[in-house]
Amino acid sequence: MKDFNIKAIQKELELDAKALDIPSGAAKIFIQHAIDSAIKSLSKKTLITENDLRRAIAKELKKYHPDLAYVYQNRDTII
Amino acid sequence: MNVFASIGIVILAMLIMASLQLVPGVFALFFHYVSGKYSFRKASSLSLYFILGSEIISAFLFMSAFFISYTLFLNDLNPRNNVLTWIFIGIFIALSIACFFFYYRSPHSHNTELFIPRKYAKILNLRAKSVKTPSDAFVLGALSNTYELIITLPLYIVTATEIMYMHNDYFADDVMTILYIVISSIPLLCMYHSFRIGHNLAQIQRNRVKDKTFHRIIISFSFFIIALLIICFRIA
Repeated sequence: MKDFNIKAIQKELELDAKALDIPSGAAKIFIQHAIDSAIKSLSKKTLITENDLRRAIAKELKKYHPDLAYVYQNRDTII
Repeated sequence: MNVFASIGIVILAMLIMASLQLVPGVFALFFHYVSGKYSFRKASSLSLYFILGSEIISAFLFMSAFFISYTLFLNDLNPRNNVLTWIFIGIFIALSIACFFFYYRSPHSHNTELFIPRKYAKILNLRAKSVKTPSDAFVLGALSNTYELIITLPLYIVTATEIMYMHNDYFADDVMTILYIVISSIPLLCMYHSFRIGHNLAQIQRNRVKDKTFHRIIISFSFFIIALLIICFRIA
């Protein structure tokens, strides 16, 4: 059983947002919104995998910034 | 006619080298990570070191291939019963089939995961994430080029032999060697330029996914044609 480090995910997303030239203030706000919504949507499940969380966050992020969502979801499958 | 076959082999080898996707993939990730951590100017300068590392290791490998090629073939793939020439033809046909089916881990999915073991991919990913200094970037460029050696080494050896063969009559070795290294790195330079003019990882990765079948077919087809050219003009 492993707890997810939400702070680390948030930090990673902020770095991605900077690389994609998204203004940092706006990025912080919508990343927080996306993570909160993702956690809320998964709260009914008893067991969640890292992929579930990634998918849920990417789905929420897509509403705010599709490029950031795409990078977050595909970062590990580029090479 | 023989010289035209040599030129054909060298051009196809350049095409294969330019279509390989590991170095551009690592470069795209690397540029994304460094531009997230540092200013755009620092990211640009670090990426030049990445390209330099990749080019220098590529040049060294190619020069070693000249030595290997001279030792194995004495400048010429010509000897009629040379078992080594047949071994190389076999390698090219095997690579042609392997690249068509296995160059991408899942050819029909929407990602560009490559044939390399996942452990190596993770190492490259982690190294790309932790680049801080120019030397880190240089080593990452060199390392990513070395991981593709299973595909590039036979190509380097046969190309070196053909270049030495052409040198006897028409072209200077060093000019062809430099051309080979520079032309095969054009996609990397194009990617660098795309990042410089404001494209981001998402846009570049979407294009790479769109082009993956094309790359797979070009690599596979070129390997097959090289094998055919060697059979027709060097053995038959």
